[in-house]
Amino acid sequence: MLATELAIVGAGPAGLAAAIEAARHGVEVTLIDENARPGGQLFKQIHKFFGSRQHGAGTRGVDLGARLLGDVRKTGVNVMLNTVAWGIFDGPTLALYDGAGSRQVAARAVLLCTGATENALAFPGWTLPGVLGAGAAQTMVNLHRVLPGQRVLTVGAGNVGLIVSFQLLQAGAGAVTVVEALPRIGGYAVHAAKLARAGVPILTSTTIVEACGEDGVVAAVVAGLDAAGRPDPRTARRLDVDTICLAVGLSPLAELAFMAGCQFAFVPELGGHVPVHDEGMATTVPGIYVAGDVAGIEEASTAMDEGRLAGLSIAAALGRLAPDAAESEKKAIRARLDELRAGPFGERVRAGKSRLVGQAGAGAGVGAGRACGTPAAAPAAAPPGPPTPAERASCPADGVLGADTLRRLPGVPSPERLRAGPVAVIECPQEIPCDPCQAACKKGAIAVGPRLTSLPRLDDSRCTGCGLCVPACPGQAVFVVDQSGDDGSGTVMFPWEFLPRPEPGAAVRAADRRGRPLGPATVVAVKDVRGFDRTPVVTLRVGRDIAMEVRGLVRGVGA
Amino acid sequence: MGGVKVRIQGHPILGAAPAGRRVTITVDGRPVAAVEGEPVAAALMAAGVRAFRRTTKTGEWRGVFCAIGRCTDCVMTIDGVPNVRTCVTPVRDGMAVATQTGLGKWGVDDAGD
Repeated sequence: MLATELAIVGAGPAGLAAAIEAARHGVEVTLIDENARPGGQLFKQIHKFFGSRQHGAGTRGVDLGARLLGDVRKTGVNVMLNTVAWGIFDGPTLALYDGAGSRQVAARAVLLCTGATENALAFPGWTLPGVLGAGAAQTMVNLHRVLPGQRVLTVGAGNVGLIVSFQLLQAGAGAVTVVEALPRIGGYAVHAAKLARAGVPILTSTTIVEACGEDGVVAAVVAGLDAAGRPDPRTARRLDVDTICLAVGLSPLAELAFMAGCQFAFVPELGGHVPVHDEGMATTVPGIYVAGDVAGIEEASTAMDEGRLAGLSIAAALGRLAPDAAESEKKAIRARLDELRAGPFGERVRAGKSRLVGQAGAGAGVGAGRACGTPAAAPAAAPPGPPTPAERASCPADGVLGADTLRRLPGVPSPERLRAGPVAVIECPQEIPCDPCQAACKKGAIAVGPRLTSLPRLDDSRCTGCGLCVPACPGQAVFVVDQSGDDGSGTVMFPWEFLPRPEPGAAVRAADRRGRPLGPATVVAVKDVRGFDRTPVVTLRVGRDIAMEVRGLVRGVGA
Repeated sequence: MGGVKVRIQGHPILGAAPAGRRVTITVDGRPVAAVEGEPVAAALMAAGVRAFRRTTKTGEWRGVFCAIGRCTDCVMTIDGVPNVRTCVTPVRDGMAVATQTGLGKWGVDDAGD
């Protein structure tokens, strides 16, 4: 039998961050992962993350992953890859299988960072080849560089559905359509808006009825939902697609926690049955900790901070860190987590987490028995509530901001300022935790505050229209518009993360916020420097009167 | 219609595809070009193959669903061993991949049923 101080199962963002934190305090760590490479799902996250600088905002997930791996190597953590943890027994002892045989590792503490699995959705034809999880499609395009299909239907307009749809276009998919059963888009409005600009229809109150085909998908039938939430056959129509991506949520992969006898609670806001844990990520079983999606579905950025919390708790429990020193470090991390969970989107996670943590306090020393198939009584969990006024008001059903909303945004300059020369237009309508635009502005013209979730405010008298905020925005929601041209022309600057990249001087077709052609345009400049981190910024010359409508160009087509 | 399946050569964020070693595997006896080390499922998808196995009772087709080794929908018979998860099994030169029916049979190198 092997022995280690801390065994961590899962080398994704939570497990890697925890390993670094614990090792930093002298804990001997063994990090176990069933995959050939560490990183979990981070290496398929090719978009820039939200948050603040201390959360790594503006950095792509794939680069955060590389950074974490580098840190893990420096700490001397023992990493066991291609190794499945298939059981957990008293001690705690983990049972491992590495392809050659089984063995056990005895640990003083076990941290479970086993992540989540994609939910499926049953409808006629849902098992056909060509119906796959959105995360599976993301794995195929971003890790293995193979496109699962050319014409894609994405089911679900949460952040996963929106992000993966965009990344399928970046990988070269010909056309994508998104349907969402709810009457509103669940993901961030900025993700929806960039997808809409790429010409993707986002159909709310619409669901998939059937996937058609014999040995693979050749079409899908979608239909609108009636007032009772049933598909209305009168609205059914056939979509010519070869691939269907299901983005209908994630569930914690908590089998090991269950086997260990951890108390569970059913918390819909966190993805279902979740191990009860305290603020230091300890479960109800002594020596067993959880962090990341297994402790409630959230983001990679929150997973990393939960991993750090667990690492500190374990270092303190093993006597490597004085309790008060651990507590002060944990306090700083909790403050960061509170920032990420602030605003209307974090509301449900906050409510769910507080119920879990409340139970951990109440059940300490009581609920730490074998669960034997019945999770301990959970309080009646509230179903996901209706959207808050802030959410409802700010994301239009099709993801496209209307003129009235734009006028009200504190990041949008006055019509007078637009006529006076180039100026930033920040189309950021929702209170999401994010502020890289503020740091990008050298003129102090952009302010996010008092909270990280506050909408960015533009001081249009200070803005020079330099455009450094355009590539900095992880949501691709900042533009620079100039309506000052005497000759009736104007310019629009926008982020462009697609191939082919337009050439300066080229005649192209300008596109509006729905990706529809608006008229001829000339490419004035294409700027891409290292600091933009692969978000080139394109400037188009267009008619002055349409400059506030143009937000991109028609992809892959000349004038 | 199997859908057009392509390898992504250029990518706006990830850049040019890494040049892996080109190898050949067989799928039900037919040679298929692949890249060493990539998952078998990716090689098949790139070759336009997406129906990987048939179910025991009704013979329905199944293919890739989760792509990370969780769901076991994509299992095939590889080098005579049935129920191998193609999405997490790396390609080796000369690998014999076979469409699987039901729980599969040991020692079958191609679709013999």
